[in-house]
Amino acid sequence: MIRGSVLRWVRGDGGAALLFLLPSLVLLVAFCFYPMVSALRLSLYKWDNLAVDPVFTGLGNYIRLFTNDRFWNSLRITFLYTFGVTAISIIMGLVIAWVLNQKGLIFPTFWRGLYFLPTVSPTVAAAMVWILLFNPSFGFVNTLLREVGIQGPNWLSSSQWALPTLMTLGIWRRFGFTVIVYLAALQAIPQDYYENSWVDGASAWQSFLRISVPLVAPATVMLVTLGLIDSFLVFDQVLVMTGGGPAGSTEVIGILLYRDAFMNFRMGTGSAMAVVTLLVVAAFTLFQWRVVGFGSSEGE
Amino acid sequence: MGTHVLHPLQQPALKRSSILFAGRKKVFTNLGLLIVLVPVALLVITPYLWMVTGSLKERGHFSEPPYLFPSTFDFSNYQKAWEGAPFARYFLNTAGVAAAVVLSRIVLGGMAAYAFAILKFRGRDLLFFLYLSTMMIPFYAILIPLFLLIRDLNWINSYQALIVPRMVDAFGILLLRQAFIGVPRDYLDAARVDGASHWHTLWRIVMPMCKPTALTVAIFSFLFVWNDFLWPFLVANDTDMRLIQTGLQAFSGRYLTEWTYWMAGTIMATIPPILFFLLAQKQFISGLARSGIKG
Repeated sequence: MIRGSVLRWVRGDGGAALLFLLPSLVLLVAFCFYPMVSALRLSLYKWDNLAVDPVFTGLGNYIRLFTNDRFWNSLRITFLYTFGVTAISIIMGLVIAWVLNQKGLIFPTFWRGLYFLPTVSPTVAAAMVWILLFNPSFGFVNTLLREVGIQGPNWLSSSQWALPTLMTLGIWRRFGFTVIVYLAALQAIPQDYYENSWVDGASAWQSFLRISVPLVAPATVMLVTLGLIDSFLVFDQVLVMTGGGPAGSTEVIGILLYRDAFMNFRMGTGSAMAVVTLLVVAAFTLFQWRVVGFGSSEGE
Repeated sequence: MGTHVLHPLQQPALKRSSILFAGRKKVFTNLGLLIVLVPVALLVITPYLWMVTGSLKERGHFSEPPYLFPSTFDFSNYQKAWEGAPFARYFLNTAGVAAAVVLSRIVLGGMAAYAFAILKFRGRDLLFFLYLSTMMIPFYAILIPLFLLIRDLNWINSYQALIVPRMVDAFGILLLRQAFIGVPRDYLDAARVDGASHWHTLWRIVMPMCKPTALTVAIFSFLFVWNDFLWPFLVANDTDMRLIQTGLQAFSGRYLTEWTYWMAGTIMATIPPILFFLLAQKQFISGLARSGIKG
């Protein structure tokens, strides 16, 4: 009976489907699902030296992690960075998209393309430029501040300013993406809505607040979620610009995980940290599903 | 709910609302809008200007003058940077890895998308959901076991390490599947009547009709490889194996205070993805609008 149903399955499209899916499925299992399960398992083992065998420790790594001030500091910094970059790039993106959506603007596609350039620029290159832009003595930022009579801080060597400096790069690379998504959402709003509110005597600002902002809410939810996820996983520019310093003031989760697992070879606590990032990202995703409904990923 | 809001971007024409400044002269409209647009545009291009100007200064004189526009034009920095690190090798490595990743994401992704969009078999939806679920796994979550796996395979410092784990990407499969679903049933039925195999139908009929989507997947994959850093940094950081970003990072450490060389290097790394974006802007932006459904 089982044999019969297998035969029927193969005679339909099942056989072809199997052949068509096999290569991608094998790769996904080997390089995604297996490592995922393996990370969950490793997080339960103490493994501080690649030369010796891992020892089962139950939730020991998680306890080590959650009683470690450095980990809490890192979480705090990562959240600060994440919320700062996400919030500012979303606000900037919405304002710019709204301006680009106005009738009669010259060169609309030129502006849109220009704002998007940073998003495709390599992170390491951008980070190197930032190091020099924010150099305390000859950097352009402090040069400009000197022109108006302000002595700028020692940006990247100051534990107060290093994180905001990193955030400026994050915002610079991100807001072009929010512009494009918001522009799409704004273009979908029927023209009548605006014309009606105009007839009612609403100002441009009022129509922005009462029509544009609420009607792009689904796009906002999507951008918040994607922004939180992407920014939470920041690594490249932090490694190049500060390496997590000064005094741990920019030690985001990615840097701490890299140090723990690949410099100190503590694969167990590193994996526990990896599981924590998975949970945080899952929480952000669930948040999106709760707000816009699960259908959004398969809406078509 | 989220999807139909994002869709109109696929039509490149910009429709703009007319309420603001209605009835006034176009000049004033633009003046008002440009007051917002120009300062932000300056913020966007300042780093690029700084990069260009820095790369044209004389060696050792990066700080003079500390302004945005070039007053000297010393092109020897480019030559020195090019000779100071095996940039040619980095470019070739990156181009080769990108080509392999793009090709496999089109071929293997196309096959998977065909199965999910056109073939009918039991367990299809469940399997598709399984594929989609990989998009929610952050790379950090699998990083350590993936590294250990590559190490056990003896793939550290090999092209396999850079290519094989990147060969399939669920988001590309999702985009291709959505496009394949739109292919009219008549074409598929006609192919079947002619006795065409599924393989033939996929590559001769379905994929050619979905070229824009395939191009979008190719562009995303290329930019992904070009801007990738953490993974190549961990598994292939020997001089000969570096990609452009890891190469640039090593270069910046080796020439710690040679800032004119730095800027020449960053320009060399930044120009290809920007050119790529400018050439395929329309595809790219419509693809991004669709990426709104990612998540």
